[in-house]
Amino acid sequence: MKEKIRDILEEALPLVNVDSQFLFSELDSLGVATILMALSDKFGIKLDATDATPKNFKNLDNLVALVEEKLKKQ
Amino acid sequence: MTTLEDYLKRDAELYPSKVALICEEESITYKQLYDRVLQKAEQFHKIYTENQIVSFRAYSSIDCIVTYFALHLAGCVAAPLEKDLPEETFNAIADKLGSYSAPKGSADILYTTGTTGKSKGVIISHGTIIADAENLIDGQGFNHDTVFVINGPLNHIGSLSKIYPIVLLGGTIILVDGLKDLNKFFQAFEYESNKMATFLVPASIRMLLTFSAQMLENLKNKIDFIETGAAAISQADMEALCKLLPHTRLYNTYASTETGIIATYNYNNGRCIAGCLGKPMKHAKLLITENGLIACSGPTIMTGYIGDPERTATILRDGVIYTNDVAELDSEGNLHLKGREDDVINVGGFKVAPLEVEDVAMGYSAVSDCICIAVENKITGQGLKLLVVLKEGQILDKRAIALYMRSKLEPYKVPMQYEVVDKIARTFNGKLNRKFYAQK
Repeated sequence: MKEKIRDILEEALPLVNVDSQFLFSELDSLGVATILMALSDKFGIKLDATDATPKNFKNLDNLVALVEEKLKKQ
Repeated sequence: MTTLEDYLKRDAELYPSKVALICEEESITYKQLYDRVLQKAEQFHKIYTENQIVSFRAYSSIDCIVTYFALHLAGCVAAPLEKDLPEETFNAIADKLGSYSAPKGSADILYTTGTTGKSKGVIISHGTIIADAENLIDGQGFNHDTVFVINGPLNHIGSLSKIYPIVLLGGTIILVDGLKDLNKFFQAFEYESNKMATFLVPASIRMLLTFSAQMLENLKNKIDFIETGAAAISQADMEALCKLLPHTRLYNTYASTETGIIATYNYNNGRCIAGCLGKPMKHAKLLITENGLIACSGPTIMTGYIGDPERTATILRDGVIYTNDVAELDSEGNLHLKGREDDVINVGGFKVAPLEVEDVAMGYSAVSDCICIAVENKITGQGLKLLVVLKEGQILDKRAIALYMRSKLEPYKVPMQYEVVDKIARTFNGKLNRKFYAQK
């Protein structure tokens, strides 16, 4: 799962250091929207604005946790 | 009153305790704002000379707006630049601008993308600012109670121009640093007012409709109006927004840094016509040339490009700006935009000249040839893709080339997609064959 999300992010956002512990601060609004869109599409989950928090986007691990939580709820 | 700062002074006298600006946890009244502007202008007087062009990064902060007003008050010309410009680029632009002398009456230099790949400094006069302000007040119903949420960059006319009518009327501005944290954007609308307004480029509308339609609908009795512009908005997004916000005036505006704010159309009128930009505003005149392009005149147009009379003459002749925008006027006098007649790619409201991107990419060691093309993007409408021919023995490290380009360019000019190709299509005389890729 983690590697899949890493690949998705690296493909969509080449400027971003996916291993950063400050991922949210590396992103702009388009970057956040691109991640929401890519994760929704690839995992068939529903993400919205309330999910795009600095905490959820802090690093790759937190994004993985977000996707896993959404998948569980489905 | 002839300048924005004249109105600011009047606001401080008439509405001293009215909230002028809010940013994050900070909120300041008109009196506090004017006092800070006076204090900073005094400092600027000591370090800058009359009419000097002073560059600064356009952060979404109260301090940035104070700087903007204070520079004007000190008799300087304000040049707000993209906040994320690489240091080297910022210094080069600032040094270059500092070496020019602006014509009398100049207020701002706004940087905008040129079709030739080089950014241009557009000279905006104090008179233009007031004319733009009055156009917006008359055309969109800004008033003293308007609370405008500015969420875009303050070096871009779309956001910067909203300061003008608000100051003319003594309204309130809430600054939000982009739409990165959508929750913060929505928090701004918790302000106690049902006369709230904002400017959203079509890409931002797309984001809000996709990820927060319900939150937007919850604001249907709070948002007085929303303006969009800078890029084409789809019929589907227009209709979706009308449905969510049935009582809100929704404007699509024709404006550019060079022309100023020209025409606006409330598409939440039951007809909702995509591409319609309404009738010319109070201080604007427009006509369609024989070639089907928009030409504008009136007090909202730019004075010229700083330090570049030749380039100025290519679009500004006898008080008329000749644009590259293809449009028609209908029988009611409404403007309908049909597209552009140049190579500029519109990435979510930011215009990018592919030539500028290619020039930078060619400086990267592994690249032998390249072309920057537009590709469909679900959010921004258009995105950038770089097709690359590699030098022998080289491989494409997507992140490395993206980072290299980021070190030279603003973030929105860096392609997100890359593809290695064997060769780049060229015309018979060796120029990049952009039409070939546009048709693909």
